[in-house]
Amino acid sequence: MERRLANLLLVVVYAISFHWVAGCSSDASITITTTIPNPLIEQVSIDIAVYYNDEMSQYVHNEDLGSYGNHTIDLRSQISIFNRIFDAMFTSVTSIESIDSTEGQGVDAILVPSIEKFQFAIPEQTRKDFYEVWIQYRFELYGSDGSLIHSWPVTAYGKANRLNYGGMQNEKSPALREAAQWALRDAAASISFSFVRQDIVRDWLQQRVAS
Amino acid sequence: MTTNQTHILLVLITAYSLTACVNTTIQEAREASTSLSSQESIVILSRKHKTSGETESDFVSCVSGKTGGGNDALSVMSEREFMDELFPWFEPRTAPLNMKDLTDVISRPLISARIRAIGVRYLVWVEGTTVRSEESGALQCTVVSGGIPACFGFLSWESGSDYEASIWDINRGINVGKVSSEASGTSIVPALVVPIPFIARVQNQACISLAEQLKTFIRT
Repeated sequence: MERRLANLLLVVVYAISFHWVAGCSSDASITITTTIPNPLIEQVSIDIAVYYNDEMSQYVHNEDLGSYGNHTIDLRSQISIFNRIFDAMFTSVTSIESIDSTEGQGVDAILVPSIEKFQFAIPEQTRKDFYEVWIQYRFELYGSDGSLIHSWPVTAYGKANRLNYGGMQNEKSPALREAAQWALRDAAASISFSFVRQDIVRDWLQQRVAS
Repeated sequence: MTTNQTHILLVLITAYSLTACVNTTIQEAREASTSLSSQESIVILSRKHKTSGETESDFVSCVSGKTGGGNDALSVMSEREFMDELFPWFEPRTAPLNMKDLTDVISRPLISARIRAIGVRYLVWVEGTTVRSEESGALQCTVVSGGIPACFGFLSWESGSDYEASIWDINRGINVGKVSSEASGTSIVPALVVPIPFIARVQNQACISLAEQLKTFIRT
């Protein structure tokens, strides 16, 4: 009986040890599926067409962190987040397949978001408790005649504390996923504020009202 | 069950129920009177804009739960529900950091209408953390002859919780006061074959104290 108990304990100890060792160099592959609440923002009275290039709509970040493993973060769901925030921001939103297409005609402007930079950090690298995700987007606003009205960066940041995951704190995926979800939520918040805070965009909107 | 097994079971049950002493200090600074009608609620939020020293989410959940339960419970809306209702105005990077910012935010008709609809009267901003320090000792476990696992040694560490809650009255747009809770204690784990942990649950004690003080502060 005692021998069996000891053997069982040894198996548990080996399993925990293996789990710890594996946790130091494990790969992580996560798909971000998230949504945002209905934004409480004042609508801008313009009709917008939105164009997502392939890099934006198919964005999957893959990075090999050497001894910390290979990390894949699938951000394709960001398009649904962007569509939701744009629907709340503008009178009407049309998604177009090409920036040069005639689909964009009849709208007041064409908005082209793109990803410029994606970075993430894990606690093993930073010696902190946080998984962190940074995304830098660029927004370009074109007039209905195809001329560039303005271009501006939008940054997004999300973090998740590994200590909030209790017994799962050596598992990378849940915390990294949460950090990326917060980054997308932050992106939506930043987009909703940044559009009307751009001086050039504000001037353009005022000119439209005046004319 | 043999006598030995019964003894081991008793030791484990006793060990589980042992907790080390925790010293708690509560302070309160009131700047204005408070009251909460039956239709109104509060929300307990943590600051998330810093890159370090962020209040643990389970502490905020604990304070929300304790404030919303037990004797003299207040109506408490969860942090996430509040953030969702007012998205994107109370996100980590967009939440108002002072009363002027809050006044600017709630002066917007859309925001004030939503706040009226959800009935939140007070925002309680919690800041602070629990830290573990002065760890000392060592503990080693091995399987001794006969296949019995055994641990020998002694571990100890200090834990300290230091939290402060600022209470904002949304209706009046003022800071009505602050409540702080400090707790400290020493945890020890002596082991002579079986480790017996005496854990100082400082964060839990800080949570209970802060929640009780918040109830008293807002009710009176």
